[in-house]
Amino acid sequence: MRDFILKRVAALLLPFIQMYGLYVIFHGHVSPGGSFAGGIVVGLAFIAFATIYGLERGRAKMPERITTLTESYGTLWYGIMGMVGIIKGAPFLANKLAGIDLGTLGTLSSGGLISLIGLGVGIRVASTMITLFFTMMEEES
Amino acid sequence: MTATIISNLPVFVVIAPLFVAFVLSTFARRIRLVESLVIAVLALGVLGAGYLASLVLMQNGIPITYSMGGWPAPWGIELVAGSLSAFFLLLVSGVSLPVALFTVANMTHEVGGSVRTTRFYVLYLLLAGALAGMAVTNDLFNVFVLVEVATLSCCGLVSACKHPRAAEAAFNYLILATLGSALILGGIGFLYIITGHLNMGFASMELCRIWQDYPHVVWIAGGFLLVGFGVKSALFPLHVWLPDAHSTAPSPASAILSGLAVKGYMICFIKVLYNVFGATLIQEFALDRILSLLGMVAIIAGSLFAVAQDELKRRLAFSTVAQVGYVFLGLGQVNVCSLTGTLFHIASHAVIKSGLFLAAGAIIAATGKTRISEMAGIGGRMPITMAAFTIGSLGMVGIPLFSGFIGKWHLLSGSLTAGSTLAPLVIVIGSVLAAAYLFPIIRTAYFEQAQATDGQDPGAPQRIALILLAAGVVILGVAPGPFLELASRAAVELLAIK
Repeated sequence: MRDFILKRVAALLLPFIQMYGLYVIFHGHVSPGGSFAGGIVVGLAFIAFATIYGLERGRAKMPERITTLTESYGTLWYGIMGMVGIIKGAPFLANKLAGIDLGTLGTLSSGGLISLIGLGVGIRVASTMITLFFTMMEEES
Repeated sequence: MTATIISNLPVFVVIAPLFVAFVLSTFARRIRLVESLVIAVLALGVLGAGYLASLVLMQNGIPITYSMGGWPAPWGIELVAGSLSAFFLLLVSGVSLPVALFTVANMTHEVGGSVRTTRFYVLYLLLAGALAGMAVTNDLFNVFVLVEVATLSCCGLVSACKHPRAAEAAFNYLILATLGSALILGGIGFLYIITGHLNMGFASMELCRIWQDYPHVVWIAGGFLLVGFGVKSALFPLHVWLPDAHSTAPSPASAILSGLAVKGYMICFIKVLYNVFGATLIQEFALDRILSLLGMVAIIAGSLFAVAQDELKRRLAFSTVAQVGYVFLGLGQVNVCSLTGTLFHIASHAVIKSGLFLAAGAIIAATGKTRISEMAGIGGRMPITMAAFTIGSLGMVGIPLFSGFIGKWHLLSGSLTAGSTLAPLVIVIGSVLAAAYLFPIIRTAYFEQAQATDGQDPGAPQRIALILLAAGVVILGVAPGPFLELASRAAVELLAIK
């Protein structure tokens, strides 16, 4: 009962914070921020959840097994996006040369593969933030 | 398909180990699968490096350039596979494969648990990928990123064992290496400020044009880079982290750290020094004299420290400090013969020292003894291990027909050509001291009466790894052929940049 307001407000805000993080990740090439900053926002939502609702419930949302996998596969996703260029007969990490339609200037699609590559970086950064937080908290307790 | 792979080979040799590294954590519970994936990707690396090297040799010195994302330099990031890159790629793949073979079915009890062992392999592959990247990169900022990746992987590898001494050594290493990274980044930043380029070729051209306007900035950049890479590659007064880190790490990690990781930083330093500053500026700013002086001090001091150690792995670690001295001494003699010797010495020391560390690891694992004075009679009980150790020692001292001789011979004749009187003397004294710290181990192992009867040669993969590395020492010494050819071409190319 003690943390009623805190918990209610967090429950209302955290989904929007995560959505905002994903927005920053995907719009890195047309607006301020980018996949690194967006990933940190997403990670911070989990950290805030763990500090408000308790470490055990926070850990249950993101067990170590999952963060290990998201860290690895987030980075691998970047590499896979790089391979798109090679598969299309262009160099590694090619974007327009790989035949990706770059759409209208200033819109989300104008970055081609960049927002998808950013997703990998964002996942990686978010899970690294979570891992760092839990490592430090579990060391203390 | 094949054509695609071949045209993208410079990037594949870097990203293949990284790709596998990121997949490994999925199979953390199935350690056999993890080991076979690691061996497979490193074996593919040997094939790729061999193919690139043969391409470079056939093309007569025209390097293969690769633009990331199709953006040409100076806008995009460029990978260049020339003689130096092919040489170091061959070395990285050729040494990391036997060392990985040594770890097969052997790491779990040393590191503890299959999850921790998988982490060890992840770091190992990250290091292998970073070293391959150092070989092919032609971009100053990429150099910094790869140096960081390699450094952090090394810290993880040092602390792979659950051992308080290992954790302390890794922490010391982390602090000093971070300082080194900061200095390297600073040096690169100063170069970028005055040249406006991160691509080495363009930075070099620009630097050549404007250095007279900014002599102090060039001084600062050179000093930062020298100290930064000096810390990383354990140049004598900055070597303090190395003996602890390399002697407390698990033996395969010591082998890869002493054999390859230190060499990666040196290759980066060689690239920055000769490809960006160029031979003229090195002499103009007296970097050559500073480098050879530091190298000479490192040879003598490292060897003397090594003689004083009784713990086997610490003696080998201090020997690395001495051998680093040869490389810096060679870098300071700006002529083709010395640079060839330097590069060849890098290769021969990588093969020798990883073999020595693996042999030491096999002895320690079998007997539990870490001190040389306790190893009496070990040669009779572990014949293959000690034979590999003996071949490595002979190579390290520089006996003809072993790989160390060729590098030292070129260094010696190069420094005589340069007209230096002190350098040849130091090279010879260093060899005598190497004999003084390595031959007593062999004498103890073969000719002293055994007190204990325990210990036997390690399992089949470990024996194959030791035999491969010992064979490498002999092959490089008897028939250096294409390897020496690549080294001398790389030396000519490095000096051609004005």
